[in-house]
Order: sequence, then C-alpha cells, then structure tokens
Amino acid sequence: MASYVLRRIFIGFLQAAGITLVVFFVIRSLPADPVARLVGFNSTPDVYNQAKASLGLDRTIWVQLGDFVGTDGSGVITGDLGKSWVTGSSVTSGVATTLPITLQLVLLSFVVAIAIAVPIGVATAKRPGGKLDKSVFGYGLFAGAQPEFWWALMFIFFFYFQLGIAPAPLGMLDPLMVAPDKITGFILIDSLLTGRVDAFFNALWHLWLPIMTLAFILSGPIIKMTRQSMARVLSSEFILYSRASGLSRKQIARSTLRASLPPILTLTGILFGFMLGGAVLIEQVFSLNGLGSYSIRAVLNLDYPAIQGTVLIITIISLIVYLILDLVLVFIDPRVKAQ
Amino acid sequence: MTEPILEAKNLTVIYSTLDGPVVAVEDINLELFPGEIVGLIGESGSGKSSLALALLGLARYPGRLEGEVHFGDKELVRMAEDDARLLRGKEISLITQKPRQSLNPYLNVGTQISRVYRAHTDASQSEAMKHAVVLLENVGINDAERRIDAYPHELSGGMAQRALISMALSSEPKLLIADEPTSGLDVTIQAQFLDRMWRAARDRGMTVLLVTQDLGVIANYCDRTIIMEDGKITSVKETKDFFANPDNAYGERILKLARAHRTTLEAPTMQDNDIIQVKDLRKTFKVEDDKVLQAVDSISFNIKKGRSLGLVGESGSGKTTVGRMILRLLEPDSGSVELDGENISELSLKEFNQLRSKIQVVFQDPFDSLNPRWPIFKSIEEPLKLHSSMSSGERRERVLEVMNAVGLDSNSVAQKPGGLSAGEQQRVCLARALVTRPEFVVLDEPTSALPPAARAELILLLKDLQTKLGLSFIFISHDLSTVRELCHDVAVMYLSQVVEVGTTEEIFADPKHPYTKALLDSVLFHDPNSRRVDKARLTDLEGEIPSPVDLPKGCYLAGRCPFVESRCTAEAQVLTITNGKQSVRCWKASENHPFGNS
Amino acid sequence: MAKKSVKESAVFKKALWYHDRLLLAGVIIVSLALFLSVFGFMIAPYDPGTPVGPISQAPSSQHWFGTDSSGLDVFSRVITAPRIDVVLSVSAALLSGLFGTLIGLGTGFYEGRFSSLVMRISDVLQAFPIFILAMVLVALTGRNLVNLIFALTFLYTPIFVRLTRTEVLTQKTRTYVEAARATGNSEWRIALKHVLPNSLTPSLIQLSVTVGFGILLTAGLSFIGAGVRPPTPEWGLMIATSAPRLILGEWWSSLFPGIAVSLTVFGFAALGNALERRVGSA
Repeated sequence: MASYVLRRIFIGFLQAAGITLVVFFVIRSLPADPVARLVGFNSTPDVYNQAKASLGLDRTIWVQLGDFVGTDGSGVITGDLGKSWVTGSSVTSGVATTLPITLQLVLLSFVVAIAIAVPIGVATAKRPGGKLDKSVFGYGLFAGAQPEFWWALMFIFFFYFQLGIAPAPLGMLDPLMVAPDKITGFILIDSLLTGRVDAFFNALWHLWLPIMTLAFILSGPIIKMTRQSMARVLSSEFILYSRASGLSRKQIARSTLRASLPPILTLTGILFGFMLGGAVLIEQVFSLNGLGSYSIRAVLNLDYPAIQGTVLIITIISLIVYLILDLVLVFIDPRVKAQ
Repeated sequence: MTEPILEAKNLTVIYSTLDGPVVAVEDINLELFPGEIVGLIGESGSGKSSLALALLGLARYPGRLEGEVHFGDKELVRMAEDDARLLRGKEISLITQKPRQSLNPYLNVGTQISRVYRAHTDASQSEAMKHAVVLLENVGINDAERRIDAYPHELSGGMAQRALISMALSSEPKLLIADEPTSGLDVTIQAQFLDRMWRAARDRGMTVLLVTQDLGVIANYCDRTIIMEDGKITSVKETKDFFANPDNAYGERILKLARAHRTTLEAPTMQDNDIIQVKDLRKTFKVEDDKVLQAVDSISFNIKKGRSLGLVGESGSGKTTVGRMILRLLEPDSGSVELDGENISELSLKEFNQLRSKIQVVFQDPFDSLNPRWPIFKSIEEPLKLHSSMSSGERRERVLEVMNAVGLDSNSVAQKPGGLSAGEQQRVCLARALVTRPEFVVLDEPTSALPPAARAELILLLKDLQTKLGLSFIFISHDLSTVRELCHDVAVMYLSQVVEVGTTEEIFADPKHPYTKALLDSVLFHDPNSRRVDKARLTDLEGEIPSPVDLPKGCYLAGRCPFVESRCTAEAQVLTITNGKQSVRCWKASENHPFGNS
Repeated sequence: MAKKSVKESAVFKKALWYHDRLLLAGVIIVSLALFLSVFGFMIAPYDPGTPVGPISQAPSSQHWFGTDSSGLDVFSRVITAPRIDVVLSVSAALLSGLFGTLIGLGTGFYEGRFSSLVMRISDVLQAFPIFILAMVLVALTGRNLVNLIFALTFLYTPIFVRLTRTEVLTQKTRTYVEAARATGNSEWRIALKHVLPNSLTPSLIQLSVTVGFGILLTAGLSFIGAGVRPPTPEWGLMIATSAPRLILGEWWSSLFPGIAVSLTVFGFAALGNALERRVGSA
C-alpha cells in the first residue's frame, strides 16, 4: 500500500514538472507577438527592442526557462510565478486573490449538485422504468452538455429582472458593502472569522444564482452516472448472492453503496478539473473576479507570465484532485492495487 | 403422499426496464418434495435461472415476483425482507454458476464467509472467523489461515466455487437451489461435488433443484426432470420415464441428438508416414515474483496420415498450449514440430506463414473466433485470398462448396456471426479451417462452448468429414466421451505431462494410470440405468489440482491419488511402454503392481 | 442461461421505443443543423450581416425573432450561424477522431516504450483546463476559423487516443485475432483489417458527443471575445452582444441563439446516446 501511494505521488510530481515545461514551450511556440501587442504595432524598432529587453525576451529560450523555473533562486519551484507584463504586479498574488473566489464557487456548486444528484440517481436506480426514471433520464442527457453562460443569463433575466428574488449580477457583495478583511480569501469564511454576519449572508445572497446555474449543469452527468453505477451493482452477481445468503438489508445497502462509489467519484474528479477552467464563463456573467476572469485578461493581453501561472495552477489543482481520488479508490477497491 | 417442502403457485418473474416490462417466467406451478433431486433443463434464455432464484423469493435486479412460493408454512414472495433473509442461506441455500462474481470483490473471503455465518447464528466475530478457516480447509484449500485474507480476484474460479459450495452445504439447508453449479469446474471436481450433493440429499433428506444443460447430470443424479421453454414448464417427469419416453418435442430432440452418434469409429486406411511429429516440446511461463509456471513438459507424439489423436486433460494440463505451439501461435522453449516431414519449428515466421494453408485450427469459443464485423463469407474466403491465386469466382465457388460440406445454408453468406447460433458459428470456423484443404487441423475444444444439442450435431459433422475427407487432426478436449467418438488414439495430459497414451480401444478398455481411470469414471453417461452413484468406485480423486507453479517432486498426482505409496512422492515418474503401444507414467502400472484398496 | 435473458429476449428489443424517440429527436436536430450549415444563407430572409431595420425590435411577422441592438435580423442570424458553429465543430471532431484513432491503434497494437510515452503525454494534455487552453491557443494563433479548428482538434485528440487504445487492447486478446494469425495474416493486415474496424465503436459514439462540446466551446470562446469577430453570425457572439440588453427587457436577441445552441448540443448528445444504446444491445 505504502509503495503504491509513494509511486502515485511521484508520478504526480513528474506530471507537474511535465506540465510546467509543456506550458512554457507551447505558449512560446505559437505565432504571436506579445511585444507588439504591448507597445503597439506602429512603434519604432528602438521602442520595440527596449520593451523586448525589459520583458527579458531578448535572452535565449533556455535562460528564460531557467528564469521561469527558478534556477536563480526565485521561480515556479519557490512558488514565484513571475510578474505580469501588463500590470507589473506579481502573478502569484494575482492568482492567490482570485483562486479562492473560483474555488469557493466551484466547491459549493459541487456540494449542491451532489446533494441533489446522488439521491435522485439512487431513487431512479431503485425503480427502473418508473416515471421519475424516465424524466430524469432525459434531464441527465440534456443537462450534461449545455451553454451554461446562456442559462446563467436566462436565470438572471428571470430571477433578478422578472421576479426580483436574486441580486444584480455584479460581484460577490452589494456595491455599497465593505468587504470583510482578507484572511483566507474565501469570503464566506473570512466574514465569519471577522464576525461580519451581514457580509456572510450578503455573499450567500450573491452566490446562490451562480451556484444554482453550475449545479444545474453538473447534476446531469452525476445523476446519470449514479443511476448507471447503482444499477450495475444492484444487478451484480455478488449483491444477488448476498441477498440469497441472508445478509441483513443494512449490510447489503452498505456493500451496494461502496461498490457504486468508484465511478461516481472518478466522474466527480474529472468534472471538478473541467469546472476549474470552465467556471470562466459563469464568473464573467456574474462579474465574479475569480481565476477565470484573471485568465481571460491574461490571454487577451498576451500576458505570458499570467497565462503560464493560471494554466499551471489549475492543472496542478486538477492533478492533486486526481491524486486524492486515486488514493481514495485504493482504499475502496482492493483490485486497484493489483493493476 | 408426503407434503411438498416447497410449492410455487402462479409464479411469475417480470423485469422492468427503461423500455418496459419483460416477462422471464410466466405463471409457473411447481412442487418439490423432501429428499428429492429435481433437474431443470432448457435452452439459454428459457428462464431457468430466473425460476431458480424466484424459489428463494428473489428476483434479479430489476425484476419483481408475482404469485406465491410456499416453503413449509411460510410464503416467500410477500414475506418481509427481514424475515425472508433468515431462511435464505440457512434453510434454503443457493449455488450460482459464476462463483467468483458471486463474492463481494471489496471484501476478503474470510469476512464474507463469517458474515454469512453470523447472519444465521449468534457466533462472535472470532468464532465466525474460525468457522471460515475450517470451511476453507474442508474444501481442500491449503494454508486456509492465510487464504482467508485473500480477495476474490486472487482466487481461482474453481477455488471460489468450492468455497461457495461448502458455505451452501455447511448450514445443512433443507433445500438447495443449484444453478449450473459445475459449469466452470473440471470433470473430476464436478464429480466430487455432485457426489457430495447426492449424499446430502440421500442421508439428510435435503431437497435439490439442479439447473443444468447436461443430460449426463440429469441421468445420473436427478429423480425428476423438468423442462422449461420460453418461461413456462412444458414437461415434468420421473427421470427414467423421461429418458424412456420424453413425450415432449424439445426433450425428444435433445435425447435423439445425444444418442445419434453412438456408433463405432471406422478404422482408417493405414498409411505409414506421419503427418505430424512432435518431439520433446517444452514451455514455461514467467509469472509474478520471478516464479516459473511449467505449462508443457517434454511432450512427444506423432500422428499418422488420416488418423486423429485426442489430447485429453483438465484445465491447466497444458493441452491448449501444445496446440498453440504446433500452430506456432506460441514459440516453444525447446523441442520441434514436423509437418509432413518438414521441420516447421526452424522456419522463420514469415516462411511459416506461407505454409499455414496446410495446417489450420478451430478454437473453443466460436463467436470470439470470428471477426464480428465481417459477413461469414468474407471470413471463410480470407485464407484463399492469402494463400491461393484463385479468381474471385473460383473463390466463391470453393467457399460455397465448403459451406455446403459443413452444413451451412448458402443463403447465409452475407450474415454476420452475431446473427448465427453458436453451432452455426462453429461451422463457419470449421469451414474457414477446411477451405484451403489443409493436411492437418488442430481442433481446440471445438465442442465445449456449445449447448448440448449443437455439440451433438457438430460431433456428427466431424465424424462425417473424417470419413469423407480422410482428415488428420488433433482433438483437444476435456470430454472423454467425445474423444471416444472421434479419435483413433488418445493421449491423457495431467499438469503439463502426458500420463498415458494409447489407442482409443486400449485406453477405454483397460486404463492403466489412476488419473485416466478417475477421468473415465467421472464420465456421466446419458443413461439413468447406469448411474455413477450406483457403482462401487475406488478411483475417486481427492482435493484440487496443484498449482503448476509449485509442482510436487515425485508423481504430480500423488497428492490426489487413492493408491499413493511412499515411492510415488519420492521419485519422478517416467512415461514407460507397457504392452504393445500403450504407455503409462506410473511405476505401479508399468511394473504391474496391483491397484487395490490399501 | 437466463443470465442473458433480459437483454436477449425479443420483448426487450421490441421495447426500445423510448430510445427510438430520442434517436429520432437526435437525427432531426442534427440533420436540421447540417442542413442549415449548408443552406442557411440561401433561405435566410435577410442578410445576416447588414442592419435591416429599426434596432431592438420585438419579434413580429416581419422579423420573427426580432432585431438586435444593431438592427440585424435575429432569425436570419440564428439560421446562418451553423455555417460557423457546426462546420467548425464537425471538422474538428472528424480530424481529432481520425488522428486519435490512428494513434490509439498504433499505441494499442504495438505496446512498448514509445506507446507508453505517448500515453503519458496524452494524460498530461487531458489534465489541462480545456477551455483556458482553447482560449490561449486561439488568442495566440489568431482568431480565424482554421486556427479554431486546429485548436479544437489538438484538444480533443487525446480522448480518441484513449478510447481507441483501450478498445484495441481488449480486441487484441480476442480469439479472432489469433485466428487471423493462424490463417496467415501479416500483423499489419491484422491491425488494419481486423482490429481497427472492431475498435471504432467507442470513437464513433464519442464523435457525436465531441461535436456537441465543440459547439459549446466555440460559442463560449466567442462569448468572452476570444472567438470569431463580429458581425459574423455566430451563436455565442450573438448572446454576448445581446447580454447587456437583457436587463433592458430585450430578451429575444439572446433567447433564440441560446435555444439554438442548447437544442443543437442536445441533438448531438441524444444521437450519441442512442448510438451507444443501439450498439450496446446489438
């Protein structure tokens, strides 16, 4: 077991290192001219070269790589993602302020989605062919792939503009409210830590619609997978045999749940990785200044350090999630080790 | 008349799916009486398994039951799950045909056995664990103390089945439902189990419902026989009566087929030269922990033109590996194969590929052997495309000719294998093997994946082709009665070695090796008047086949042989010629020591 | 054996009507989308690129879906947009399907160091945030149709590699491959004639799903301003330009393109699901 865990963590590190390199080279191999974008296409060669030098782009690609990775003592390996070419501020701090907003949104959406989807999935698996099953099947298929940004707009139109039961999509708090002091960066946690109950409820008020929008999209595939996985286990030989050998209902329910879990967990992990980057559009619609919005600005400005930073952070978080998932699966299923 | 122990009234099993309900068992009435063994036969999909489960008050997900099942004074269909579970696994036990899948893959074996034990007793956790160890020891699992920590995927299918069987019988149930319990077991192990079940029924008055496809099992062990077709029972008869006078179209058909080929094999026109000569073939495989699995140990034999050799053995004996090495689908560690005098082991694979039209093969699983996307014409035609310069018209003619010879309708050329029955699929495989007029064919258990009727038909066809075409072949099988029908010579393999070889008459009339004797005794004849259980037997083998990774020092059979003596475990056995042509790997047989009850 | 009876029984096959309805829905939507991507411009009542009347008009008999804030006819734009959305997604799906299948066949059939290297690379690619990577690829290569297709192809190829490889690894162990070898086929012939055709099913199902995701990605990219340029008729762009007008009560200019995306994506998903069912029960 220990050797499996160590090996898996080692592979995770290799992947992270591979990603750092891929990100670095892919961006530089594409035919874009960030210097021209920065100084304008009509600038004199002098200005152009000066800008190029100040960004460090006149050095060889290997020196730039060393600088990025941190062979001079400060770089990715020390947690320093460099300085934004556009604003001059540290990418690490930019990521650090925006990431919690995204994580908070995505995590809460997952909690809501799972809380809705898993019970529905279990209920449909128990009564296959029933009314609930048939309608939920269509929903699972439908919600699995939908333009969430458009649904978000429609929800805003309906819940805010028509019904008035949601706030205007203009950020995490009412414009006039003072934000709680930053401690963790997660506004819901910070407001509680600083005793700002008003800010806590105000943030929830602003978050409910984006969370519902994401949960609406996410619950589709999770329902589908839960139903499929439960049905597979319920029809398995070993559950049948457990019933035939007189085990108690509680024991059988526990076995069923355990055996249904791995595919659901795997799917959730994949969706989580997908959503970290995919929340971009929802953040944009609701003017939440998260990592997604940060990355849009970085990309549209050809701000290489910021692009590298966001892609790297999101990918590494996904890898960590996959890693945790793999380790959980080993504990659930003894067969995984054997593979 | 005694009271029935179980009575089903208007029993129906319905599966509800997203696409609507499906009725698998329809309105069945059935009585089972104390102490009787009832055989249930029927085609695949006739609802046998669903009925068997329904008698426990269970339906496979997503199914439900209608009607009544009375067990003593209790009614199982409407009974609360919490009450019914107290009967299941205690008063009524189940054995399924998929032992490994029936165990929970997430729990170790000890936990599973002890959970079932504790569900029906007041035993403590540690007592239950001890019980689990004892149970595993009872079924001959070595090192049971350690094996209870094993997970199901670490057990062999045979081992898992024996664990399930011993669990099912250990609660001394009043009723045993056995759903094709021996389908994955070797013949000698099958015989052990069925004998034990028969004993429990006779001694303790246990009632058994035995679902099977094997007429031999019915004839040898069952008191009554029930036929199921399309979810309904179409015949219930005393077994002797059923065999004498089936009175049912399906029953008549399968009995007729089973009896049709009881004719003697014609002697081939003797020809002296060998078509195949196998010399000292050896093969080992590396397994985990740097251990070595001995698959084939120094096998030699030759087959003369027009003759056929039956290579007989149980799973793990290495018989299939021999076949694959002859075909060069697997390279031997050492040894050689000569085809018609030419040493084909020395050729490069590219050179040998040119010769493949001369040596062909039919595999065990017919569906798996055919490219599922190709119409059968294309599959049969392919060898001609690769090995002949025929025009497409000539090829078409030849394909139709060979299809006709194996009894395939020429209208089916455009069909995909999925649309054909298993028997037809195997005919396609046979046609593909014969289309290039090969000199030699390897038949690797071609009949064992087929349902009984199709199996009987294929044997008749092979016999027919043998006389018409003068085909030479090696027939790999675990089924002695089929070998007797088709082969002039027999070689018996056990754990990588040939233990006895001779002509079919010699081997069947006077088997010398204890293993051959046991194998012959475990053949279940389709005759309720000549039952295995009525005969006195000395030859039964004990326990399980040893692992080919850790082979014993002396005779490989010593651990299971009823005639074992100290010399058997001390010295390795050699294949020795006894009289004429029959050779035996057993010092007792070759030195004419008496086999008796020691 | 009754273990298969549920699946094999004739009743079960007859009872596929529920999924047939889904299949029908999928086929109709997909055909309509493909039809419009070819003939949309011909049957559009107005030029989708030039203002045709007063701005921000509610739906009327003249302008079925109303006009947007630039006075463009929304209906004409909705039915001409598939020229971008559908063509782009279908080409990207086909290209990534082609490359992915071939790479998957190669790495699955010939296992070895090279094959596992390719798999590790595709692992890493799959851990990337697809949407952001797509943004980067498009922003850095220039926002034109061909670059969008290449970006999508690059992002979707690993899925097909994985699906095909997994299937090839299973198919390789089946007896018909051994039988083909025993018949005298060369390894090349076995890979191309026997294994490949039998390994295509998962990729074919995925193809439909991928087209759906491609449409979502295209629309999403345009929505944040990283896709095609205005005033090209494209659903995501139309939603983006009309979003600010929503709060003024102008719902039609974003509702209709949104419904178009939603339905089209659903159509491809339904088709994929129906195919999967079909193959699964065959």
